[in-house]
Amino acid sequence: MTTLTGTGGATTKRGAATKWRGGLAEVVILLGLVAVFSILNPTHFPTLTNLATILNTASIPVILGVGASAVVLTGRIDLSVEGVMGAAGMTFVLLSANSRETADIGWLAWPAALAVGAALGALTGAIHVLAKVPSFIVSLGIWYVGLGIAAVLFGYEMIPFLTNESAVAWPTATLAGIPNSFLLALCVAALGVLIERMTRLGRAAYAIGNNEAVARMTGIPVSTFVVILFAFAGACSGLAGVVGSLALGAGAANVGVGMLFLTLAAIVIGGTPLGGGRGGTLRTVTGVLILSTLYNGLILAGVDPSIQSGVSGLVLVAAVVAAGWSQRERLRVFK
Amino acid sequence: MTAISIGAARFGQMRHALGPAAIFAGLLALVALAVPEFLGGGGPSIIAQQATPILLVALGQCVVLQIGSIDLSNAATGLFCAILSALTLGPLGVASPLLCLAVVTLIGVGNGLVLVYTQIPSFALTLGTLGVMQAASLVVTGSNVVYVMDNMDVVAWLFAVQVWTLPVAFYIAVLLAVALWAFLRFTASGQGLSAIGYNERAAALSGQPVRALKVLAFGLSGFFAGLAGLCVISISGAASSIGLGSDLLVPSIAAALVGGTAITGGLCNPVNVVFGAMFVALIPVGSAAVGVDPQAQSIVYGGVLVVAVAATMSRSRNAIVK
Repeated sequence: MTTLTGTGGATTKRGAATKWRGGLAEVVILLGLVAVFSILNPTHFPTLTNLATILNTASIPVILGVGASAVVLTGRIDLSVEGVMGAAGMTFVLLSANSRETADIGWLAWPAALAVGAALGALTGAIHVLAKVPSFIVSLGIWYVGLGIAAVLFGYEMIPFLTNESAVAWPTATLAGIPNSFLLALCVAALGVLIERMTRLGRAAYAIGNNEAVARMTGIPVSTFVVILFAFAGACSGLAGVVGSLALGAGAANVGVGMLFLTLAAIVIGGTPLGGGRGGTLRTVTGVLILSTLYNGLILAGVDPSIQSGVSGLVLVAAVVAAGWSQRERLRVFK
Repeated sequence: MTAISIGAARFGQMRHALGPAAIFAGLLALVALAVPEFLGGGGPSIIAQQATPILLVALGQCVVLQIGSIDLSNAATGLFCAILSALTLGPLGVASPLLCLAVVTLIGVGNGLVLVYTQIPSFALTLGTLGVMQAASLVVTGSNVVYVMDNMDVVAWLFAVQVWTLPVAFYIAVLLAVALWAFLRFTASGQGLSAIGYNERAAALSGQPVRALKVLAFGLSGFFAGLAGLCVISISGAASSIGLGSDLLVPSIAAALVGGTAITGGLCNPVNVVFGAMFVALIPVGSAAVGVDPQAQSIVYGGVLVVAVAATMSRSRNAIVK
């Protein structure tokens, strides 16, 4: 887990030191949660089956979080994940073997769904950059556009069930005790880390978040990169929509419901501030694992599952407050 | 943040004064041409009924937008108010709506207090509150539909009584919009809210009680959302976390923005938000009239939201927008 410490962004000494401690703090929280729940519920919590359950529930937020944290690194935000998941998920189901027999293009349904996601993400980024509209408003609009596309695809017919049973069973099937869905999520996370550390795009994302004006002056094509990062986030949401649809075994417009809070809360609690410039993919993966463990433990302890979005909301606010606490100032402008 | 020259402001004022009414009239004309029987039948009454909750949430939203912030939680707070009053109307009667309004106003005030004390971005804070309110609605209802058992007549008259074919609640909402306009235009607090939207630091340095005014804005947002919740109860006599009123957030923001409210703050005319709300309520009819699938409604809502912001946002060439 020592890899969590490097995030490849800030270069100041202080930044490097706090970064290291910050990365460790989240892992300690995660281990603490595991320890507490293991003591509280020794028969059900610390089992391999439950580990697989936690990792399976964590897989969709991890996939979403990789894309969303790439956007947050630049100081933007993508609120459209639930809508894009719906649109891409419905695309995937209607292009796979399903009970409506719309079309079956086999494995090509995966890239098709990813392309829908990437297109919606690119649209968000392009409107944001060209019309200079704040990203949270554009992505709020695209959220609804995505839900609308999903509703149109759903139409008025029967629910389209996936008929390929081995495909439906794939996400929860385990390889060495780890569900396939989580292995897929880890691949996406690895891709995210690769982009962050090894590419100009990834390093530019940190620079843009740190100081956008300076990034522009140094010749970074900020607008182009922001659009690409939104498209990447859209593709991640599309993939999450596919995994969500496989888990449901059917197409549904609301396949992503509740995922937005979880993803944003995980990003911030993992240590990527909403202002951008610091943090990154691995931080977000830790954040997702913290939240998934928390929910799992609470539900095993008998807490009403419907409080999940409330817990995410509170964690989100608490994490944002903690991240911004030191910057409070009497005359600070905050919107 | 954004420098607006006097000339641009004048042009902006003119566009703000007439634009929303013109946009609404245009869509209405389109609908009247495509579906002539719409105006003669129950059409206007239905539109007024659908516009009223949207308008009330949008009025609260436009006060928050006036200070340059946003409240993503108010629609969910309104629905929570509807659920609370569905639960309490039976035992409490007339006291129930007042109690529920007080609760949701306090939720808004709580938002404001956390905001000014912690200084975190309003969209992040209210996104958190949105999650909490959704969970609260689910927990309080036990994920079921809650029906009003008794004393329905305390709120039923809002939409049952009609004046000139329109429900009385619509007139009340319009009067509230006028009152809000007068408050923003003629009182020191109202002008202070605009000052924060234009230039928060200047407002603070010139002695405006910025923090108190922000709390006021979020309190009003909660209050108006609560009124919308009471409308939901009056219309349907029941409330649930996924039922009527659970989908007001984007329509209400769109209504405020089509009504000429600037997302950057300082520009808001509640009277024009009335036209914005009627426009948004007419969108389903209008889009069906031009042959858009009703399932595609949210695409239109989302599109209108983005276009409205893009068209009304004041921006300078070199400003960094995030």
